[in-house]
Amino acid sequence: MPAVKTPTAPILELDRVVTHTLQNGLRVRLLPERGLPTVSWYTFFEVGSRNERLGLTGISHLFEHMMFNGAAKYGPKEFDRVLESRGGTSNAYTSNDVTAYYEDFAAEALETVLDLESDRMRSLQISPETLEQERQVVLEERRLRTENSIFGLMEEQLESLVFQAHPYRWPVIGWSEDIERITREDCLAYFRTYYAPNNAVIYGVGDLEPDATLRLVERFYGDIPAGPPPPPVPRGEPPQRGERRAAVRYPAQAPAVLVGWRGPEARNPDSAALDVLQTVLAVGESSRLRRRLVEEEEIAVSAHASWGWRIDPGVFLCFVELAPGKDRAAAEALLWEEIAKVSTKGVTAGELRRAQRLLRSAVLHELATHNGVAHALGQAEALLGDWREAGRALEQYAAVTPKDVREVARRWLDPARRNVVVVEPERSGARSKQEPSRG
Amino acid sequence: MGDRIELPPLHEERLPNGLEVVVARRPGVPLVAVRLVLPAGSALDPVRGEGLASLVVQCARRGTKARSGREIDEAAEALGAELGASADEDSSGFGISAPAESLAPLLDLVLEVATSPSFPAKEVDRIRRREAAGLANLLDEPGAVADRAMLRAAYGAHPYAHAPDGRMRHLARLQRADLVAFHRRYFGAPGATLVLVGAVDPEKALALARRRLAGWKGADSPPPVPPAPEPGSRRVVVVDKPDATQVQVRIALPAFARSSPEYIPAVVANAVFGGGFTSRLMEAIRVNRGLSYGVRSRFATSRAGGLFFVSSFTKTATAGELVEVALEEARRYCDGGPGAEELERAKAYLAGLYPLSLETHDQLAEKLADLRLFGLPVEHVTEYRERVRAVTADECLAVARRHFPLDGRGVVVAVGPARDVAPQLERFGPVEIVPAKQVV
Repeated sequence: MPAVKTPTAPILELDRVVTHTLQNGLRVRLLPERGLPTVSWYTFFEVGSRNERLGLTGISHLFEHMMFNGAAKYGPKEFDRVLESRGGTSNAYTSNDVTAYYEDFAAEALETVLDLESDRMRSLQISPETLEQERQVVLEERRLRTENSIFGLMEEQLESLVFQAHPYRWPVIGWSEDIERITREDCLAYFRTYYAPNNAVIYGVGDLEPDATLRLVERFYGDIPAGPPPPPVPRGEPPQRGERRAAVRYPAQAPAVLVGWRGPEARNPDSAALDVLQTVLAVGESSRLRRRLVEEEEIAVSAHASWGWRIDPGVFLCFVELAPGKDRAAAEALLWEEIAKVSTKGVTAGELRRAQRLLRSAVLHELATHNGVAHALGQAEALLGDWREAGRALEQYAAVTPKDVREVARRWLDPARRNVVVVEPERSGARSKQEPSRG
Repeated sequence: MGDRIELPPLHEERLPNGLEVVVARRPGVPLVAVRLVLPAGSALDPVRGEGLASLVVQCARRGTKARSGREIDEAAEALGAELGASADEDSSGFGISAPAESLAPLLDLVLEVATSPSFPAKEVDRIRRREAAGLANLLDEPGAVADRAMLRAAYGAHPYAHAPDGRMRHLARLQRADLVAFHRRYFGAPGATLVLVGAVDPEKALALARRRLAGWKGADSPPPVPPAPEPGSRRVVVVDKPDATQVQVRIALPAFARSSPEYIPAVVANAVFGGGFTSRLMEAIRVNRGLSYGVRSRFATSRAGGLFFVSSFTKTATAGELVEVALEEARRYCDGGPGAEELERAKAYLAGLYPLSLETHDQLAEKLADLRLFGLPVEHVTEYRERVRAVTADECLAVARRHFPLDGRGVVVAVGPARDVAPQLERFGPVEIVPAKQVV
């Protein structure tokens, strides 16, 4: 195969990003991109499940639902109706760290979108009826994603093993009892603190004119009062002094193993090498875990690894989905062997190059859409403290050495600090009366 | 008119062997998408060999005359790419997308696995075992089980009635010789399309495609297309999952093919009924009753036919209520059709967002390959917005009356604890309870 040169030109022209901070603290970042006649408009609120406390777990996510239920100018059901009638669509997600809302729309709808978004930031209405409605919808979402999903059940257990003190120990969607308990007053207090303009950042990318857009932002958002500073998040976590385990008994077809290690915070320089490690382990057919567990040993139908960037120290995950009838302990032993191999012997230059190319390709694909660019800027600012970091990922990956990969594997994937959740398949019907469906 | 969708110039050529090449140079990220589509899909699977087309495609990348499966994986991944290979009911597709400086080796990989697979016996056996294990594990995903049961119930004995990944029992029966024969019989240049989109020089890319494909012929003529599916009468299928605390629900019936003139009016009619976040179904089921987190309806279209279906889920106790509300909304829609305001909103929504469906090189490559596969002119893309804006309320009403689940038409499929679910669904039609294992 001919040698392929990797171009080094920057993929994000960061010097074209126009930034501004309003009097009320709202930060704005705009990047004009002509290609398509559309705009992607993100609003990141710097609040997620890490800002919650027991008794109110899940309020960030429930609140995300409430944001679509009407404000002073655009009442209930109006938000999406108005947006769709102007050729736009919206969605949102809540994570451990942030709550992000976006609209993708035909460029001429910009003013409408700013009107809609600023309306709900200024004057969200929370009625007892809509709160009740969304509570039921969220409970149904929880049944879908957690209670009737093997991975969902396992993930919930894993986070509560990895974290004993940090708020990352509860699920983003919250515990059912808390979801049922959250009151309108809780929501109002939450809104005043976390949805104030000084706790938000806006990203607009696409067919827009920055100066005119800044004037519009000033006009629509300028009069929204700043809120109190959010209370600090307890970040402490006691050191882990041995393996922790949990089992999930479930009428599954096959066993599964989910392992997590507490890693560093996203802004730690080890993060880039952990991305490389994850790629070496489980991205692509020739990655180590897929080759060993899926192809050679045929013990698993799939193997995944992921390093999740978070504000506070996050989790490095490995997930192995076994083939029916295969032995879970044997799969675990293979997994430990592969992790030990990478921690002691490291990776080859070829593996590193392969991982760097795959990561470069992944970054280019992510930045191929207005939505992807706007989201990358927001992620970088929320997790790394600076939107400019979005353009630096490629340099950081390129700088990783084989030694770095071995070092981060040794430092973070220590067998004494692993957390293991296993699924133990049980006969269908064995616990059918234990969890009656809610009436 | 600003409504027209501007595509980059398309450089098209039919090679002497019958294969069509389409190249489009696009600014933006320095990537190239390579996509080869052959009109041979799971509808060609033998009656007791469901999953064959998919197995052919999966195994094609596990070894060729020149390289082993591992060498192919390593070559693709060294370029920063993952080679995609999959079959649907109508076609087999190979795709790869990576930095454009690697166009030649990317194209070589795609063409090599599609045209000269060696189907190593050991690899065929291994992939067959892996696919069968994957199907077994699928039983733990209620949504996937519901989708498969829906195809079976709505399409009956039609070749579209099975999911492309087939059934465990059938996979166990398939031999290497079946794969070789399928490939020889159905994989050929006539009817196949190669699409290249991205940061490429069109003349050079075309020349490269010509050189690389000159020696390939394969099957002499494109494979046959199945007949149109026949609609059946109302019945209820409950797939038993005794431990589930939620019921997955589908309501479905055969509709029309992708090339039908009903397509655009149907897209608009459906946007009002069960499309975006403000659809009638969303309003009735999520907003007004809190019955579900999500509900949607869709016209899914293929070469020979298609389906209209409603898809949602709810807690066990409200499965019957959810079906009742969905059917009632279908009836209400067919009484009056869409209102002026909701029709305008749906059209603005579809037209405004359409450019986003062509934003990446991969998306455009897939769209261009689909046009060829379905025998549609490029105006289906460039004039999409004008056509959407021209749809009238009467056209929506006519489409709905023909294809919505009214008057005892359409099957109801539910996946959940049969003991609690079946009694709630008896009022909609004769109920058949099937064990979940039968679905894979």
